Amino acid sequence: MTLLFRVLVAAVPIGFLTLICGFTTEGANQNAEIRGDVIVTAAPVYVPRAELRGHERFPKGAQLLLIHSGKAEPLIDGFAASADANVSFDAQTVLFAGKRNASDPWQIWELALNDRSVRRVITTAGDAERPLYLPGGRMVWAQRTAAGFQLQSAEDGHPMAAAPWNPTAGPGTLPLTYVGGNAFPADVLHDGRILFEAGYPLGQGAIPELYLVYADGSGVESVRCDHGRARWGGTQLGSGDVIFTHGTSLARFTSPMAHEEPVGAPQATFAGAIAETPSGAWLLSARTATDAHYVIRSWQPGSAQMQTVLAQSGMDLVEPVMVAPRNRPNRHPSGLHPWNYANLLALDARVSRDGALHGVPASVRLESQDAAGHAKTMGEAPVERDGSFFVQVPSDRPIRFALLDSKGEVLRQERGWFWIRSGEQRICVGCHAGPERAPENRVPQVLLRTTTPVDLTGKQSASVPSTTAGGLSR
Amino acid sequence: MSWGAQGRLLAVSLLVAAQFGAGPWAGKTARASAGATTSEPLVYASPVEILFSPDGGRLYVLCQQSGEVRVLDAATFKPMATVAVGNVPRGFALSPDGARLFVANSWDDSVSVIDTRSLQVTATWPVGAEPSALAADPAGKFLFVTNRISNDVAVLDAQTGTEEKRLAAGRGASYMTASADGSRLYVTHVYPILPAHGSALGNRTPPESEITVIDTARAVVADRIPLHSVAGVFHVAISADGRLGAVAELHPKNLVPLAHLEHGWAFEDTLTLFGADVGAQPIEIPLDELERYAARPFGIAITPDKSRLYVSNGGSEMVTAIDVSRLLRTVQARGQSFVEDLSASANYVVARIAVGHDPRGATLTPNGRRLFVANRLDDTISVIDTRTNRLAATIPLDGPKKISVLRYGEQTFYTARYSFQGQIGCANCHIDSTFDGLTWDLEPDGFGVDIVENKMLEGVKDLAPYKWNGANPNLPTECGPRTEKYFWRSESFDDLTLADLVLYIRSLQPRPNRWQSTDNQLSAAQERGKQIFERTQDNFGKPIPEENRCSYCHSGVQGTNRKLFDVGSKKPTDSSGLLKTPQLTNVALTAPYLHDGSAPTLEEIWTVNNPADKHGRTNDLTKNQLNDLIEYLRMR
Repeated sequence: MTLLFRVLVAAVPIGFLTLICGFTTEGANQNAEIRGDVIVTAAPVYVPRAELRGHERFPKGAQLLLIHSGKAEPLIDGFAASADANVSFDAQTVLFAGKRNASDPWQIWELALNDRSVRRVITTAGDAERPLYLPGGRMVWAQRTAAGFQLQSAEDGHPMAAAPWNPTAGPGTLPLTYVGGNAFPADVLHDGRILFEAGYPLGQGAIPELYLVYADGSGVESVRCDHGRARWGGTQLGSGDVIFTHGTSLARFTSPMAHEEPVGAPQATFAGAIAETPSGAWLLSARTATDAHYVIRSWQPGSAQMQTVLAQSGMDLVEPVMVAPRNRPNRHPSGLHPWNYANLLALDARVSRDGALHGVPASVRLESQDAAGHAKTMGEAPVERDGSFFVQVPSDRPIRFALLDSKGEVLRQERGWFWIRSGEQRICVGCHAGPERAPENRVPQVLLRTTTPVDLTGKQSASVPSTTAGGLSR
Repeated sequence: MSWGAQGRLLAVSLLVAAQFGAGPWAGKTARASAGATTSEPLVYASPVEILFSPDGGRLYVLCQQSGEVRVLDAATFKPMATVAVGNVPRGFALSPDGARLFVANSWDDSVSVIDTRSLQVTATWPVGAEPSALAADPAGKFLFVTNRISNDVAVLDAQTGTEEKRLAAGRGASYMTASADGSRLYVTHVYPILPAHGSALGNRTPPESEITVIDTARAVVADRIPLHSVAGVFHVAISADGRLGAVAELHPKNLVPLAHLEHGWAFEDTLTLFGADVGAQPIEIPLDELERYAARPFGIAITPDKSRLYVSNGGSEMVTAIDVSRLLRTVQARGQSFVEDLSASANYVVARIAVGHDPRGATLTPNGRRLFVANRLDDTISVIDTRTNRLAATIPLDGPKKISVLRYGEQTFYTARYSFQGQIGCANCHIDSTFDGLTWDLEPDGFGVDIVENKMLEGVKDLAPYKWNGANPNLPTECGPRTEKYFWRSESFDDLTLADLVLYIRSLQPRPNRWQSTDNQLSAAQERGKQIFERTQDNFGKPIPEENRCSYCHSGVQGTNRKLFDVGSKKPTDSSGLLKTPQLTNVALTAPYLHDGSAPTLEEIWTVNNPADKHGRTNDLTKNQLNDLIEYLRMR
């Protein structure tokens, strides 16, 4: 099997040399709308969402193509496989996942567009895929680990001219996700948060879902809480909307709405990320009923037709990326404290999109996971009459809560797992209240009774007392 | 190198090297941006309010920094005249017949009366403390003036300017709108009403505000519409049919720990609706979305046909357009306030229209076809087509076209663009560059601990160190890395922008003290209070230790030696009792007092919060002596 894979991967670049002749367009006028170069990933076989199951998306290899002046050509020489292009904010360089040799794991590389030189950005054990540039001289990618693909970040080799006041993270590699399963970065939003794909419920489910996390791994949450059907491949447009693939169709998140909205694109099966052109058209990887493979198409939102930009017989074309400067997202100034634990304050655990509780919560139970992934009870803390509780929890590991009544019966249990970063102080409006729910302006009763959280870490915490991180006063 | 870069680099150098020393922020950087283009101290128009003449032919523009009323041709927008008025005009109003234009000069405590035919100031009337808005009754008998500092509405004889009486309004009474028939005035105030003495949670109760409704014929208060959990209330609009009122306001989250900004955690930007269309109870509605905010709603206007409602958002630099029928359907369906639902605005907000820096007053043409918005920090007026909800024109006002250092610093102060998702700016908590009258639970200390009162910014330039615990050594640290990390929660200013912001804050001069006499002579009570302030012996002839005398800690012109002391105000939730001595400049304005706002009045600093005489030797004072001391403090 391995040998077959190697043969097939080796054959891909050769195949491209001829398959480029299959490059088709539908006329200069249509192509004239695509101003600037485009990079796509071409693969004989593309298996959507395979990576979220820990499998190979491109089982027969892949190669990055550059569409320049209406013609496609291999972007990079000397690689057995390449995919996942991400263009830097100044459009000078391209991060990608590549394999020098077919038997290598996917690793993160960077191409300089001016001279086509390539450098290895980081060396990791196991596959490293889907790299994205972060602001502040860092990058994020999905790293295969024993717990599945996890988001990690590290320097991208382009340090800032001057050190930021409040860096996002210290030097070196920082894990950003801390629950089991597979997580892949999809985009970096304008506000600096990382949009990523993982299973729902987080840490244990298999339905692809989109989540957000700050670039220091804090603040993980669902983008929206109307969970249910597979959502993946999110891309943020200049307008701020996030376009993603919902099942096989397109949908969007908009700032005003607490739920996704359909995108009225022509009928097709869509695959993952899109690109927005300067004219506002979208470049899509789509396959219609008459296509054997995914094709790069252009679609002007609101129009009835898509136009083919690039099609190659025998090839799936996915992951379109514009080669153009773009606005740099805001860098996240990390506010994590130098602690080995985290604090969580719930304002009213009774508040949930799931409706009213059938009982009065008396306590909250915290569970974490042991090394084998088994749930382990860490302890319980009282819930105040107003639904508030304040706990100190183990950090950087999976946790979940259950609300209990006075008899210890479970009133509500979190579906999945989440984490809180070391030194993070997190507040939730309720349990699964949804991002549309703002807090009431009132002092939670638990803080009127005590400002010391109930220690559910299971150990004596090595706290750094009081107050400030980084020598600043609030 | 251009001057702008040179000048601001010089400013940075001066700030860092000469005045503050090389703090931890030196040499660091955040986002680069365009900025000031000149070091010249320029005077700008700074339009804040707009009025149409009754015939629609003229546009009156109230210009705050230049102290003028600019008169424009409403058709061509060409300047017709400029009328100089007083210092820092904040509001203006026409007489019922349009023959006179009254202007409230907020720092002069006067009203300029302009004859609209000659466009000359024909009278200047002395009025109350910091007049801010005006309205005339339909009969032309009364002129009503809101006084921000005395928290009331003065009723003047509209012909002579003689004050006839005052009506109590909310704290920081500022803005006022008349109903279409002129029978009612709706008055708002910018600072929350101080909590009642002895309330259960004292300084940790939700802020309360009100709309004071005045019967103009009788010149009496007809109603007080409560605004719960609201602090910072600005303009009101009343529909032409009188059935719908709406007020632009801030809904702070000062009682929950400020651990992050997402999901409306620091402020929500809201309207409270009232009137027959809404029902018996006012209903508060959000303007924000899940990831986008309508920061600092200020001006508001309802089209004559009640189809649209417009709100200017100073921090977001935009105008929010609302479909009124959809709004009312949503309100009626919900039946109560739904301010915590950030997805609700999708039901009625139909456009968000980008305008200039710090948009303020919003006025519709008489036919409602166009909305005019005064962009205070751009010297422009945005004209919005209300049929398309698009920007139709931008009218530049005469004046400097270069951006001075202070102007850019002020723009930086008033914008919300630097905070996470554009939720807040400096001006959210420092209303009109002052304070907000609230106490906040900031996250870094822990949750529920070290509750701090927000201080006045005017006159802070030489008061380092900053913060109640004195931990921030200078303004660049205070406004740069600290603000980025604990308030904006997002990449902040670059060094040059920070320098301009700091220079702007340093430029803020204290407003005139209304308790000082014009000849700087102390009243008898103030003189007695001064003696108490400076005394070295108590009423029993015992010497007062130097560090326990008022004049020791509160020394110097600004009333602070800038050192830390424990005055016995430490609460169980405070991590330390050592607190920096606050300045006394205009202390009468800045209630509540003490580091955590636990004293709603100056008196309670000593009657309630000084049992051990650690905050000065005061328990020997008689009631009259304490009153005298307070009289003296008020004039500082």
